[in-house]
Amino acid sequence: MPAPDRQLRLTALRDIIADIERKPALAEAGARAILSETGFPQLPGGTVQDIFLDETRDAGAGLGFALMQARALLAGKRSAVLHLHLAPEGQALGLPYGPGLEGLIDPTRLVLVQARNAADLLWAAEEALSCQAVAAVIADMAARPKLLDFTATRRLSLRAGESGASLFFLHYGSWRQASAAQMRWRLTPERSAAQPYDDQAPGAPRWRLRLERGTLANHRTDWLLQATEKGLATLSTEPFEPNPAPAALSHALPAPLGHRLSQTA
Amino acid sequence: MLFLPHWATDYLKRRDPALAGPLALYERIKGGMRLVAVDPEARQHGVRPGQSVADARALLPPLTLREIDYPLLEAGFGDLADWHSNASPLVAILTDRARFGDLVLDITGVSHLFGGEAAMLELLLQRLRACHYSVAGAIAPTIGAAWALSHFARSQVAGPEALSARLDPLPVAALRLDQNDITTLSQMGLTTIGQVRSRPRKPLQARFGAELLLRLDQAYGEVEERMTSRLPPIAHSVERRLLDPLILLDDVLAVTQDLAIRLAHDLERHGRGAQTFHLLLYRVDHKVMTLSLNAARPTRDPAHMLSLFRHRAQRLAGEYDAGFGIDMMRLAAGALEELAPTQLGAFSIPGGMEDIDRLTDRLSSRLGAPAVLRTQLKASHIPERAARLVPAIAASGVTQAAQPSLTRPLRLLPSPEPVAINAEVPDGLPASMIWRRQRYRLIRGAGPERLGAEWWRSGERLELVPPPASPDPAKAPPEPPPYIPDLKRHDPEAQTRDYYRVEDEDGRRFWVFRLGLYGGPDLPVWYLHGFFA
Repeated sequence: MPAPDRQLRLTALRDIIADIERKPALAEAGARAILSETGFPQLPGGTVQDIFLDETRDAGAGLGFALMQARALLAGKRSAVLHLHLAPEGQALGLPYGPGLEGLIDPTRLVLVQARNAADLLWAAEEALSCQAVAAVIADMAARPKLLDFTATRRLSLRAGESGASLFFLHYGSWRQASAAQMRWRLTPERSAAQPYDDQAPGAPRWRLRLERGTLANHRTDWLLQATEKGLATLSTEPFEPNPAPAALSHALPAPLGHRLSQTA
Repeated sequence: MLFLPHWATDYLKRRDPALAGPLALYERIKGGMRLVAVDPEARQHGVRPGQSVADARALLPPLTLREIDYPLLEAGFGDLADWHSNASPLVAILTDRARFGDLVLDITGVSHLFGGEAAMLELLLQRLRACHYSVAGAIAPTIGAAWALSHFARSQVAGPEALSARLDPLPVAALRLDQNDITTLSQMGLTTIGQVRSRPRKPLQARFGAELLLRLDQAYGEVEERMTSRLPPIAHSVERRLLDPLILLDDVLAVTQDLAIRLAHDLERHGRGAQTFHLLLYRVDHKVMTLSLNAARPTRDPAHMLSLFRHRAQRLAGEYDAGFGIDMMRLAAGALEELAPTQLGAFSIPGGMEDIDRLTDRLSSRLGAPAVLRTQLKASHIPERAARLVPAIAASGVTQAAQPSLTRPLRLLPSPEPVAINAEVPDGLPASMIWRRQRYRLIRGAGPERLGAEWWRSGERLELVPPPASPDPAKAPPEPPPYIPDLKRHDPEAQTRDYYRVEDEDGRRFWVFRLGLYGGPDLPVWYLHGFFA
């Protein structure tokens, strides 16, 4: 049977196609993605990633996830992270806030760029990617950008592959369009971890993550992540469900005081 | 000193070739229309400034009359003055007696480039006369003397030794005096400067004040008179005159590259680097375009300069107008600082910061300086004041205030948005929220974190901030803030905020606050201020 032969030929063909497409970053990503001790692979620089959030009100989760990845890329000469957004969308999405970033990166390392239109934003992204001192570029786009087609993303991904800086697009909505990004994530916020001394308080942030496009070394596509001091920790492997089971509590917690009163009465 | 007596009418005729024949400009003064500028042709027929329009029409029926437009004429004269910086770097408009028409050039150390003072004066006059401007000029050791000679004598060069011989026979009006003073002087029988000068000074001062003596001293060089140059002072500049005028922006940039390399050599020889660069483009039709930009740190790297100008030029693509061509370009450096000659580039500081600074330079040169921002932390407990966004160009070398570690959101809304919040008990955790017309059930919460208002301002009356000055003060005079008789006093209690971190059932984490306390005169209002990761 020519089955193993066919298999070999198929892999050879795939290699050729990958060569034609010249996606060095993706090839490297498959090979070099280090499985960190906390479970989520640490992706190397030089990739373009689309991070899709369902709605603009999830903007905080998207920025957190992108910054967690960008933090791992900050090393040596690569000392800055750029955040690009469109000037009119600042109020809708909120701007990265220095004191709140301190757990993630040094706020003085973040440069904010307010572009007037999408063309300027893409220009700034390309310019920043070609700079040797930039670790990552995070681009926020609240509306579906018309300019960001396959050609534009391809251009950016080539630029990123050459320079070794990563580009994260934060998109909002359920639309998808052709893109040359190596990875496409869908990120939804999840109820936070328990706080050790206060069960009413929100704890460490958790996110559901699904890899919609691209492959990683272990072919895993679903994660439940928790942001920790060290990095992203994986919690479970259960398959992704867009709407998790309804909350156990259908109303706010009853006041404990009332119980005690009723017991004493 | 160049004096253009009929500049207003000449300029208008040049702008609009259809304007032919005698022309006069009038101004509305107290309901009457008075002539303020008259061209030579009309003057021959007896039309004079100060006449009423009706008189002038009666004298000369074919007279063309226009209302004078001072901002236009001043801008035009400003362009002409800037353009004269191709002769000397220090150019100013003298506005003592008229709003335009008097141009002062400091030609110290420049005249030899034109083959001597007389030849330079001849050249400057010739090229204006070729454009049909009537012009007179004088070169003299003082501004006052040059003004006097150019207004009241033939165009000439007066050396320091011949100064008093040239000035003494001139009429007293040559001292830049008020009309009243001139009249009084002539009533006293003093008609020439020499006569005034021979009088004792004390009585003159008692009669006319210090002004007359000051002008006299300025004209004879006893008191130094300074001029303020229109263009920023330039320490180093390189220029290039072009035989064929350039039109295309690409050609301009190619020449800029040449200039940048020459400027870099120049700066390196002096061991300096510059932070501001100006590219001056002299158009054939007497206008100057200026491209200015700043670098985050001193540099003399020609490639960096060129890339900044390239991005700046892209931003301006629509406004770029070469007119009939550009015949001279000058690249000037300002804000110089020491930069050791051995240093390869200004940016060779280890740690990658130099590349970041270059990147922010490039981004700000195309997107504008206010679009590229860095966070500057401030010691303030009020969240929106704790982090300021400052332009990255200005932010280099800022010191960081020590911050206590607090739980703060990842994103902050530039202005908090009002939300409707329900809580089970007034001071309890919020249970549900309506924000942007959507309902959120909040299942977890932590707080409150109480942030008091600035109690040290309590009892102060609130003030309205005056509106920002309009970019063009000539068009819209700044309006005073509206008068509101009873502005509230600052009440720290009503401005106290209680911040809560809340999480909804889908896991979104928000930062909301309640402004004010229960039990006060007004009900507290809730706002949403930020998002957590």
